[in-house]
Amino acid sequence: MSVLDKLPVAIQTKLQQEPLFSGKTDLMTDGHFGVQWLTVTEQELMLWNVEGKQQLAIKLSEVTDARTAGGVGGGSLMIDTKKGPVVAARYTAALTTLFSFAAKLIGALAKGEERPVISEKEFPRYCPKCSNPLSEGTQVCPLCKNNKKVILRMLSYAMPYKLQMVAAGFLLILTTLVELIPPYLTKVMIDDVLQPKDTGSALLTVVIGLGVTALLMSVMQTVRGLIGVWVGSKLMGDLRKDVYSSLMRLSLAFFDRRQTSQFIGRVNSDSEAMRQFMTDGVIWASGESLRVVAIFIIMFGLDWKLTLFAMLPMPFMILVSMKLWPKIGRRWYQQWRAIFRLNVLVGDSLQGVRVVKAFGQEKTEMSRYAVANREVVRHNIRIEGLWQGVFPLFSFIAGIGTLLIWYNGGLSVIHNELQLGTLMALIAYLSMLFGPLQWVSQMINWASNAIAAADRVFEIMDTPSEVPEVKDPAVIGTIEGHVRFDKVTYGYEKHHPVIKDINLDVEAGEMIGLVGHSGAGKSTFINMICRFYDTDEGAISIDGIDLRRISQTDLRSQIGVVLQETFLFDGTIAENIAYSKPDATPVEIMQAAKIANAHDFIVRLPDGYDTRVGERGHRLSGGEKQRVSIARAIIHDPRILILDEATASVDTETERQIQEAITRLIKGRTTFAIAHRLSTLRNANRLVVLERGRIVEVGTHEELLEKKGAYHKLVEAQQELSKIKGVEG
Amino acid sequence: MDDKYSIKVFDPEHILFSRGKGGVFQGIIEGKPYDELVIHRTFPFLYTTRYISVRDVKGDELGVIEDIEKLDDESMKELDKELRFRYFLPTVSRVDSVKQKSDLWIWELQTNLGPTSMAMRNLHEHLQFPGDNRVILTDMNGKRCEIADWEALDAHSRSQLSDVL
Repeated sequence: MSVLDKLPVAIQTKLQQEPLFSGKTDLMTDGHFGVQWLTVTEQELMLWNVEGKQQLAIKLSEVTDARTAGGVGGGSLMIDTKKGPVVAARYTAALTTLFSFAAKLIGALAKGEERPVISEKEFPRYCPKCSNPLSEGTQVCPLCKNNKKVILRMLSYAMPYKLQMVAAGFLLILTTLVELIPPYLTKVMIDDVLQPKDTGSALLTVVIGLGVTALLMSVMQTVRGLIGVWVGSKLMGDLRKDVYSSLMRLSLAFFDRRQTSQFIGRVNSDSEAMRQFMTDGVIWASGESLRVVAIFIIMFGLDWKLTLFAMLPMPFMILVSMKLWPKIGRRWYQQWRAIFRLNVLVGDSLQGVRVVKAFGQEKTEMSRYAVANREVVRHNIRIEGLWQGVFPLFSFIAGIGTLLIWYNGGLSVIHNELQLGTLMALIAYLSMLFGPLQWVSQMINWASNAIAAADRVFEIMDTPSEVPEVKDPAVIGTIEGHVRFDKVTYGYEKHHPVIKDINLDVEAGEMIGLVGHSGAGKSTFINMICRFYDTDEGAISIDGIDLRRISQTDLRSQIGVVLQETFLFDGTIAENIAYSKPDATPVEIMQAAKIANAHDFIVRLPDGYDTRVGERGHRLSGGEKQRVSIARAIIHDPRILILDEATASVDTETERQIQEAITRLIKGRTTFAIAHRLSTLRNANRLVVLERGRIVEVGTHEELLEKKGAYHKLVEAQQELSKIKGVEG
Repeated sequence: MDDKYSIKVFDPEHILFSRGKGGVFQGIIEGKPYDELVIHRTFPFLYTTRYISVRDVKGDELGVIEDIEKLDDESMKELDKELRFRYFLPTVSRVDSVKQKSDLWIWELQTNLGPTSMAMRNLHEHLQFPGDNRVILTDMNGKRCEIADWEALDAHSRSQLSDVL
């Protein structure tokens, strides 16, 4: 039974029997938004409108097959009948999986094949409660789950430092209280010393009091500042570490869809924004609110009527702040996105700087940059401008309160109802009070910026890996290397499968050569074995254990890869060879290099195995790099070896050397090799010919040549090509 | 036989498109009937009604239609309809609201194909700006909507958009 969505009663009652499948579309057959229902029973498939009126009915006996025709942003369910194809339903991209399943089911029913079982992946990804879409790999709705608010989650990073934070907070309270002393002392000075013209020791005492409070304040501020810096730096470190490990945990598919250079800046700038809020922001906000309370208590104590005047502008300021809050947040994000686009642009053109120069396109790149730059400037002005506009407004409004006190207080002093000192103290306190209030807008700024940053950071942290680690992995030990593909289908974008229905059984120690045109799915095939991606359908097993049940560390420790694009990390050649086995002895490293035909050229380098390679180091040639990476694979001693165009970018002599190295490397290991030059696959036990994601031929070189099929054509095409090359040479 | 490495541009006179009984797009291409045809916009952003690649069910290109305006009325109507089905890209006529709830951006939109809502995890990966004032919105499930010219929308929509674009 594959009933998915609950059918409306109106339709339920009209069905003769329990449906095998029922699903809701989100488009009508005319392409407008709307709901229709598709039901499939043992006899027929039917389409209904929401009122239960039948729109379409096809007897399954008429059906020859069913499929989905994927468009952009949506698709349609196509039924092939004996009278020609029929469009049975249309839907948006959200429901593609559901209707792919429907197509499979209908196809299986029509052809009398085994009926497919629905998997969790095929459920429509909508939250049952709020009907908002769910994110990939989870059935928990981000809107409906009891969300620990971003701020709380952010603050949880401060938890390990709570002692220090409490200390800083305590010092802050003290500083705040001490800060309140000077205005009071001034009042005492004016009312009790200066006006009565008291020439005793009172003046000196008050001045000393002022001096001591000033000293105390600066000591406490220093200590608090130091704690702040310490906690802040630690916090930053923790955040950066978490973001980076989240990034490393994510699957390759995540990075395929994004430009990687964007993350370099993100890790740093986003954690800085969060840090600023947490240390400066939180301490400051709590300190200031405390100060506001204390000031009000003192002011009310001095003169409650005048204090009320001072409070008049406050509701207005709070209102404005509340109004501005979301706006500022959005503008921060806007500004961030503009910078983000600028960074992506720079990342792109710097990575491709050779191409830019080769085509003489520096001017175009500069003008592209100029456009993006203008956007950043525009957004910068918008956000900073808003902020610059708000600040003086707040000062002015705050100033009105002071004016009111001056006027009313002044009158009282003239009428001798109030002492001058008290008025001066009130004014001093009031200016202290409006300090924090004006800075409310700064706080809004910090907080919005931090929340926007936190949203982005937590988004990365919350993205589930598309190749999830199994909870209790199967223990594999050292594997034999028997690899089996069982009806494997996969597409980088789901529903646009790149490899389809692959069945292949590979014996341990066998060498398989993968051939086919570019885009035939060879590299995807290999990526599947490494489990860079999980199959959409079917399963891959090693020694009979499903890949998904093996821990990724265990799996990768058994697989060695030599790619066309060799990547050497920043470090010495020795470190690069010993990448997967950091405790390798120098002899082991040399042994590996020797097998890889790399030992001799390495020794000839002035710095030998200590030669720095990678971004900042010595430039090795393509062939040299390739041999270092073969040595890296050798020392890894994998049971399964993957060679992806390992000799594509080198000359014939180097290729011969690499070939030799590879021949030694593959001995006794299950090997999958892709090579453009078919001759390099002559050692393969079997060749697998892929065409448009499907296996079309399997066999030895001789068998396939005799067959005169797809492989034969490829070989012929290559011979033609080498003839041309011969003429050129 | 045409050279297989050159783009075949159809003579509009020799092309007929229609819709089969089952609602399937079909046609007669240079005298040969096909009971199902697949079409692709070659420049989906730049030229929505021009340079349409016509393919058979297997995906092999039969040729390219330079401009659908040059076809006869019936063919043009069906091709245009099929393009709308294949490129499901409703045009936004009004932006009711753009809200950030929890960690999702929720867009409530009115489109030429009816009201809809879209949800995005963030804005920087789900908005595209192909040029001028055009915006392509893609939601988490791959559903797309198009704002042809955001400055031409009504004041309410513009104010909703001003801080998110």
